[in-house]
Amino acid sequence: MRQRGTFLRHATLVGVSAIMLVPFYWVLKTAVTNENIYAYPPRLLPESPHLFNFVDVWYFIPFPRYLLNSLIVSALVVASNIVFNAMAGYALTKSFAGKRAILLLFLSCMLIPFQATIIPAYLITSKLGLLNSYLGLAFPLLSTIVCIFVFKAAFEAVPQSLVDAARIDGLSEWRVILRVLMPLSKAAIATNVVLAFIWSWNAFLWPLIITREPTMQTLPLGLARFLSYMEDTTGALYAFAVMVLAPSIFVFLMAQKEFIRGLTSGATKG
Amino acid sequence: MSMPHWATSRWVLAPLAIAGLVLAWNGYVALNDGGLVEGQVVDASGRPVPDATVILLERHFVMHNERQRTRTDSAGRFRFAGNANHSLQLEAEAAGLGRTERRVVRLWFRAQNMRLAEPLQLAGKLP
Repeated sequence: MRQRGTFLRHATLVGVSAIMLVPFYWVLKTAVTNENIYAYPPRLLPESPHLFNFVDVWYFIPFPRYLLNSLIVSALVVASNIVFNAMAGYALTKSFAGKRAILLLFLSCMLIPFQATIIPAYLITSKLGLLNSYLGLAFPLLSTIVCIFVFKAAFEAVPQSLVDAARIDGLSEWRVILRVLMPLSKAAIATNVVLAFIWSWNAFLWPLIITREPTMQTLPLGLARFLSYMEDTTGALYAFAVMVLAPSIFVFLMAQKEFIRGLTSGATKG
Repeated sequence: MSMPHWATSRWVLAPLAIAGLVLAWNGYVALNDGGLVEGQVVDASGRPVPDATVILLERHFVMHNERQRTRTDSAGRFRFAGNANHSLQLEAEAAGLGRTERRVVRLWFRAQNMRLAEPLQLAGKLP
């Protein structure tokens, strides 16, 4: 009876997963064919699949350049998120005057959409002379509030006695974070890596505003440019979408276990 | 001697595997990017057609533009050098034998050396 229940549960989950994966399958199927996506009746299996659409994408636009730009910006964002968010998260585990006000400020800032702050963000970036630069592209995502809370929750889950023992051994605050808290917060680090990478990788509006030259554009901008050049080639367009998506999916799959542990830890503690 | 823990981490192994694949692919490309396009022109009965004109067209977004033309030798063979594109069309014509349909040639990378598996076939027959 129990086995039957497990089987039914798994069968349901497999079915739901298959339904959720249909759009991904459709994108992949269209990318390896030149089928018209509006054709009726739609084909379930690809006809004469090939990979030449990916070759077209690689050569018809400066794809390697966009890829490099996206990688540099995402690397900057991921590295800075881990450093800054860990520092902020550690500070928020301490008791100090005004902590409640800062927490409220952080939470209220999360309610404001990025589009509402984009003009001040642009003006600040401009004053700093970071327009049309990698640092400027990464600037608004260098630290994110959600990820600060993920680190805060992870650090609070570490027994205080461990931190106290480290202090008695003579470790400074910085070394407590680096040597004690960070190694015990791998799930939070993975969550930061995945979220920061995906947010930065998929960013469209900010790079659109602050880049001045095509050579500084990132992959989402390249996708829009490609669409304007080759609007009649659905296969190549979907191949581009697959090539843009692939690194995010790769990073997610790599950090999947820790990512989910990090999110659930953030949801139940702190 | 056991491997250090970090060396067996998937965060090291997976990027290394990808880097290895990229290097191997680039090595293969470097060895095969001479820009040679070779093939043969035959008539309707399969006999080689000498002195036929073969035209190579390059794709530019949605258009194909003529890039080179050459003539076949006594065995009906042709050879283009210096192709720098990855998406081509080939067409052949000969006096009295008509013109072939454009053959689409897709390459895996720019300037890939390639030889047509099937010859370009003209509609007419040699006398």
